Amino acid sequence: MGEGIGEGGPLVRGTMGIVIILALLLASLPIIMTYSTLILTSFANTIVSSPWVKFRFTLENWRLFLEGKLAPTAGVVYTPEDILRFIVNTAIVAGGVTLVVLAASVTSAYAFSRMNFFMRSGMMRLLILLHAFPGVALIVGVYAIYVFLNSYIPRDYSVYYSFIFVIIARASLEIPMAIWILKGFFDRVPWELEWATIVDGGSRLTALRTAVLPLVKPGIAAVAIFAFLAGWEDLIYVLVFLPPHEKTLATYIESQLGSGTLETTYLPVVAAAGTLYLIPTIIFFVVTQRLLLETMSGGLKG
Amino acid sequence: MARRGRQALFFLLPMLILVVAFYILPLILTAWISFTPLTNWRVRDQLDDFVGLENYVNLYYLARYDPDFHKVLQTTLVFVTFTLFINVVGGLVLAILTYLIDERISLAYRLLWLLPRMTPLAVFGLLWYYFFYGGPQGTLNSFLLKLGVIDEPVRWGTDPAMLPYSAWAIIVFVNGLVGVSYGMIIFYSAFKNIPRELIIAARVDGARTWEVIRHILVPMVRWHIVFVTVWQLLSLITSYTHLFVLVQWSVVDKWYGTTLALYVFNTAFFDVKNQGFAAAAAVILVIIGSILGLVTLRIMRFSQMISPPRGDI
Repeated sequence: MGEGIGEGGPLVRGTMGIVIILALLLASLPIIMTYSTLILTSFANTIVSSPWVKFRFTLENWRLFLEGKLAPTAGVVYTPEDILRFIVNTAIVAGGVTLVVLAASVTSAYAFSRMNFFMRSGMMRLLILLHAFPGVALIVGVYAIYVFLNSYIPRDYSVYYSFIFVIIARASLEIPMAIWILKGFFDRVPWELEWATIVDGGSRLTALRTAVLPLVKPGIAAVAIFAFLAGWEDLIYVLVFLPPHEKTLATYIESQLGSGTLETTYLPVVAAAGTLYLIPTIIFFVVTQRLLLETMSGGLKG
Repeated sequence: MARRGRQALFFLLPMLILVVAFYILPLILTAWISFTPLTNWRVRDQLDDFVGLENYVNLYYLARYDPDFHKVLQTTLVFVTFTLFINVVGGLVLAILTYLIDERISLAYRLLWLLPRMTPLAVFGLLWYYFFYGGPQGTLNSFLLKLGVIDEPVRWGTDPAMLPYSAWAIIVFVNGLVGVSYGMIIFYSAFKNIPRELIIAARVDGARTWEVIRHILVPMVRWHIVFVTVWQLLSLITSYTHLFVLVQWSVVDKWYGTTLALYVFNTAFFDVKNQGFAAAAAVILVIIGSILGLVTLRIMRFSQMISPPRGDI
């Protein structure tokens, strides 16, 4: 039985190994099927829901989607929507969230890793609780603040205000986890490096910038990616805080399938929108595979 | 000491501002709002109007007499119980299977199962919209029609003849696919910490795969199982985003797809826009959540995880 288990090889080989791999494949079928339905449908003239659906390859959906013509079969008059703007809006929110998360988490994570201060362990505990906090309880209060401040904002600036608010509010949700992930990376950097800088008369901030940051680049990359994807994928905050005409890809798709619009919606065009929306996620996924898995387990453990 | 304190404060300041502005203040506000008659977000007029416990009393009456609210409570219970089971047991099974097989194939599977978690909410909803679509083009209908199991397309999540079970099955399944990767990742990384020699020695002694799983792998992650269970319980009680999409797009029945957390969200922002009432329900959720959160910290034996800082000068 024990033969063939070398260092590093799989623990189960032969028939049993193949059975396990096939069982996993079977269990994964719903995932594989749904994603391929989405992507194939965006290039087809009908919903490609199963292997025996006959479809014609076409780029028509993508053309209609990018031109903002979303109801090609309905005889009603419609105004084309500005899809490029939706994409830019999505990117603004995602980019903004990334910047805010990095700005607020790098210095804090450094402090938690390197300094001792009043309530240090209490604060770290609090961050974990905040990460698990019922988001729905927060969003009611956050929206009340939003409405309250909004009355002081001149009308002309109200759109900017919405964007800034949604970015900071969404970023705040990511900060507890980001700090924990980054602290893990800081903890692995030898302290002697900064010490040398400080002995030479540099400040803590200089030490952080010149000696430590270059060594935690993977950690910063991981946190930046998580933050970007969080902002990119967000539906709820964008839906609640941005004015209805400032859509992102998420709220655009939502508006196509939400109640009342369904009769005029042409599903293959929505598939094109969904596929485009999925691209950055897939890219990050393929590029950062191991970093992603390791960071998730490290971060989640904490 | 004072200088050190100031220095730490300087580094922590951005985080502290955001935590106060977007966690602590909103939390106080939510609790405050639960004692006011706030509707339609008229914060300037109604925020200093007190109605005492009226919202809580209404909540109590709704829980006793309102049939729709009964559906919400039932759905919450069923959703949390079954999804939790999938997330923990499914995560454990996935972790064991991917741990046993060849590393490259294992990586591919783990990434595949992580994909739902990383997929934008709207896209993930879209996937299941196509899958459970009520017309003959829907994936599930298409398969079953071809196989001859059904004669005409079924509206899976909304057909009254199959409620509530069909709607419950859909929300549990869809959320399970997202949640199961959490346990998988935690358990898998715990398995990786088991010395390989231990397993190899057991195999040399003639232990079957099943015995290795039962006597080595599972006992090794006992604590992780407890931790994942409590943590997932907490996150399931408070999660609403995926359900929001499924209900909004009529993939599932409105009430048999709505849990308490989603009920709070819809009450505050979409249906009746009664924020005072929604806030009262939210406060109940916060209380449940805080208790579970504190339990989790205990289980994690948190104090052991906080190592003293290095480089404190």
